[in-house]
Amino acid sequence: MRTKFALIIAAVGLAASAIPAVAHHAFAAEFDASRPLKLTGTVTKWELVNPHSWIHLDVKNADGSVTAWMIEGGSPNSLLRLGFTKNSLPEGSQITVDGYQAKDGANRAVGKALTFTKDGKSLFMGGSAPGADGGGQEK
Amino acid sequence: MNKQVLHSFLNLGVALAVAAAPAFAQSKYKAPRTPDGVPDIEGVYSNSSNVPLERANNLGAKEFYTPAELTAQAKAAAVPREKAATQVGTVADIHYDVSQFGLGKTVTDAMVNTRTSLIVGPTGKVPPMIAAATKRQQAARALTAGHEMDGPENRGIAERCFYWGGEGPPMMPQGYNSNLQIAQGPGYVAIQQEMIHDVRIIPTDNRAHLDPSIRQWFGNSVGHWEGETLVVDTTNFNDQPALGRGASRDLHVVERFTRTGPETVLYQFTVSDPQTWETSWSGEYPMGKIKGQVYEYACQEGNYGMANILSGARADEKKAAQK
Repeated sequence: MRTKFALIIAAVGLAASAIPAVAHHAFAAEFDASRPLKLTGTVTKWELVNPHSWIHLDVKNADGSVTAWMIEGGSPNSLLRLGFTKNSLPEGSQITVDGYQAKDGANRAVGKALTFTKDGKSLFMGGSAPGADGGGQEK
Repeated sequence: MNKQVLHSFLNLGVALAVAAAPAFAQSKYKAPRTPDGVPDIEGVYSNSSNVPLERANNLGAKEFYTPAELTAQAKAAAVPREKAATQVGTVADIHYDVSQFGLGKTVTDAMVNTRTSLIVGPTGKVPPMIAAATKRQQAARALTAGHEMDGPENRGIAERCFYWGGEGPPMMPQGYNSNLQIAQGPGYVAIQQEMIHDVRIIPTDNRAHLDPSIRQWFGNSVGHWEGETLVVDTTNFNDQPALGRGASRDLHVVERFTRTGPETVLYQFTVSDPQTWETSWSGEYPMGKIKGQVYEYACQEGNYGMANILSGARADEKKAAQK
């Protein structure tokens, strides 16, 4: 039993440390837990920059006006290793973002979950993998 | 456990195959030579690892897992992180889906390592800090206490894109993009780490260190060859070595790089700092060659986060003032 206990502890330790380890900063300093949001819009630009990539999104409001949003995502280096390029998320892609808005109330958010609006598939995963439909892979 | 890759959920086309850790010390591998006759340790390597620096308390003096224990642990770690659900509206829930961005240690290949901690020896722990070091650390914190969010100067070094803690020396496995390139020229070895882009250029003629008055972020590294092993000695740190953990400018790091096979290097390090710890401490881990290159990580240019963090703090202050 002692061994089993040890392994469970180790696994919990991994899970707990996982999120901070892949972030360049504390998300809570930048984004507001009391402002969860869901945005659906059209990708206008994808900045493949470090330490965080940023997806620019035009979101149509109820009154027909359009608001430009910026969505924070992960380092592009790992995506490049997996075969994704700047053409993997082309302008005009329709995506839905679940996330949290910036503390200062600006139209910036962190993307908790990023999906293609048409089929709900996760961005960069499954159907969005290079070579698959929706990926827009650069040859 | 030999010839097996753990945590290889997304195949990078890489086989980081290596014997379990205890075999490293007995490696008889003789590396090919560079044109100037020293062991060739060039390559692009991953030093990604799920082994923690310090051993979990409940493991006591247990220095290695059995292969069966390691397999069980890898299975536990394979549970997609996002399934460890967090509550909407909580601080813990604020993050992007790291698995979507191919980040984290569970989506990269890691060398098989049966060690329970990177630190070797019966305790598997960084020794306790001496009282003077604790006092020094508290005094440094007191300088910015209550003013951590005033401006970029008071933010952490990594957040400001100066360096990443794992850059060392000693180099530690990073949370993501845990890759580095070793390049050799006559009389020199250069090490570039992807996180976050710095290069150490190390002369291998065992020359004297720089004058003690000269202090650098990554110290001053001087190397020499001992048979198959590159030995790198680093001193001349400034007051904030990337190692952290309260280390002072008197930090002294000795690193050893030994090829253990065509695709692998054993990395060993010993840390001493009499201003911080009564005893020195040592660790080791294997690195494996990966395909492809080390990518640029131009941290400063894209660091929108810094402005957002500070504007967030101003928003918080405004909110507090209105209450």
